[in-house]
Amino acid sequence: MGYIYKDVVDKYSIGDGTKMRDDPIATVLDDLLKLDDILACMVARQNMISVMPTAGTDGFKTEIHEIWDIIHRAMDDVFNVIREYSQTGLAEMEFRLQDYEVLFYVFHETDNALVSIIPALSNKGLIEVEMENARREIQNILNEQEKEKLEIV
Amino acid sequence: MEKNIDAAVGMTRKWDAREAGREVARDTIQQLKAPPSFFLLFSTIHYEKNGGFEELLKGVWDVLPKETPLVGGTVVGFMNNYGCFTRGASALAVSYPNMDVVIGYGKNTKRSPKKAVNQCSDMIKKGLSKSTYKNKFLLNLVSGPEVPSIPGIGRTKIIRSGALSKFAIPAFGISQSLFQKGLGREDEIFEDLVNKLSDYHMILGTTIDDYKGVSNYQFLNENVLTNSIVNLAISTDLNLNVKTTHGMKKTDIRFEITKLSKNKHIIHEINNKPALNELYKLLNWPEDFLNEKTMANTILYYPISLKRNEREVPAVMTFILKDSILVPCVIDKDEVSILTVSGNNLVKAVQENLNYFENLDSEFGIISSCVTILLTLGNNMYKVREHVMKYFKNKPFLMFWCAGEGTYSPEKNITYANMSFNTAVIGRCR
Repeated sequence: MGYIYKDVVDKYSIGDGTKMRDDPIATVLDDLLKLDDILACMVARQNMISVMPTAGTDGFKTEIHEIWDIIHRAMDDVFNVIREYSQTGLAEMEFRLQDYEVLFYVFHETDNALVSIIPALSNKGLIEVEMENARREIQNILNEQEKEKLEIV
Repeated sequence: MEKNIDAAVGMTRKWDAREAGREVARDTIQQLKAPPSFFLLFSTIHYEKNGGFEELLKGVWDVLPKETPLVGGTVVGFMNNYGCFTRGASALAVSYPNMDVVIGYGKNTKRSPKKAVNQCSDMIKKGLSKSTYKNKFLLNLVSGPEVPSIPGIGRTKIIRSGALSKFAIPAFGISQSLFQKGLGREDEIFEDLVNKLSDYHMILGTTIDDYKGVSNYQFLNENVLTNSIVNLAISTDLNLNVKTTHGMKKTDIRFEITKLSKNKHIIHEINNKPALNELYKLLNWPEDFLNEKTMANTILYYPISLKRNEREVPAVMTFILKDSILVPCVIDKDEVSILTVSGNNLVKAVQENLNYFENLDSEFGIISSCVTILLTLGNNMYKVREHVMKYFKNKPFLMFWCAGEGTYSPEKNITYANMSFNTAVIGRCR
């Protein structure tokens, strides 16, 4: 099951996170990024940002640029844990670094996650609801892709 | 003879206010077979920066039949038959012939709540004076709290030290009366309204933004209001009931409020000692533990069981002003318990709440719930939704998250509680 999702996400991925035209997952991320407290968001796995919002890192809120490199490195370490435990039901992870929190919403039984960076003092419960909605939307897109792929096979 | 009732919930996730207004109205109305008897509209604050609420309402009225009574306001988010959302707008509309509907409003709720209630209750009494239906329901929406902005500090929920702390309490009072920035006073409004319309079943909710406490709006037909109360009153042959549950448990930590402010909102002393330091001792918290950062993650989860007219009022401590604690409702001097709350108990509180309506076949439901529950549960709110969906099945419901909620029924009196679920179910007895 997991590898199919991986293939689907890979189809969207172009390694450096550059935008892809009319990418429905990027559209979901664009919507998420419009929220004031979402400073950056992406679909990623270890060592790879699979899908970025349409504007790429330029769409991230400017305050995140200063700390982006360190957060990005820390994210990769968290993906070690996600890769290890996603098959056993790991659904969410988060860490706080300086004045920021990074939320990981793992896609079911994959090593991919929807990642958001938010201010540490934000009203997290509100953001969590929209993160969940975005995860469900992206999961549906992935499921559709998987279905199409199976039909072709 | 029983008439057919049509009820529908619609929603929008569009960002542009005008388009969102049209979509939420269209999505709702197209599910009805007859023009709506009323239209409830709840929106998150996002449209303030995406065209404005006047545009949102214009969009709604592009679609909604003229003369439909409309009330609503801004809320932190909403749950409905489609999911849980903290961005967008949702509406509930009902079409039913055996129903008289009237809307009421009153202005300047933070400065003169009594005057606002008088104006509003007069409109409702007059509007429904000729109605012959025996069951009466009222949705009471009140402008919620706004955090005052203090020069040099900005918006903060805690002022502990510095020159400004000396003036924090008087400044708070001035802000409340002069600028209408401060407490929502929804508890006072609710009490007053109950005194004037005691034969109604009521549900209380407040309008608020995304819990930053900067601004909030009320909707009344084509108008966008601030610092107002807007009410929807219904007289019908349908059966209805209301219920509040909260799931909080008392701990062994108790104290006595020994000095209260004149307006009964600020606890100056507990156990005859300055309130905040004594609270630190009781909770085993280090001195000066609370600051803007720690407050968000701690104090909300230590609600206190206060008393008001011998009623238990679970409330959160919302502001710290120097050595005093400000609570969101009017309270009496009495013994107080610290309460605990857990995610599990919150979910159980929802089940308990909905079990209360097992003898009522719902046609539609309105639920006001506290934003602190949303902050506690986050995306686990979807677990709450499973229970709500199980009760309502395919019948429409709309839950909104606010900051000050309660219910009233002639049989059970007022229940005002922070961190609570408040349900109104309208349907037919089994």
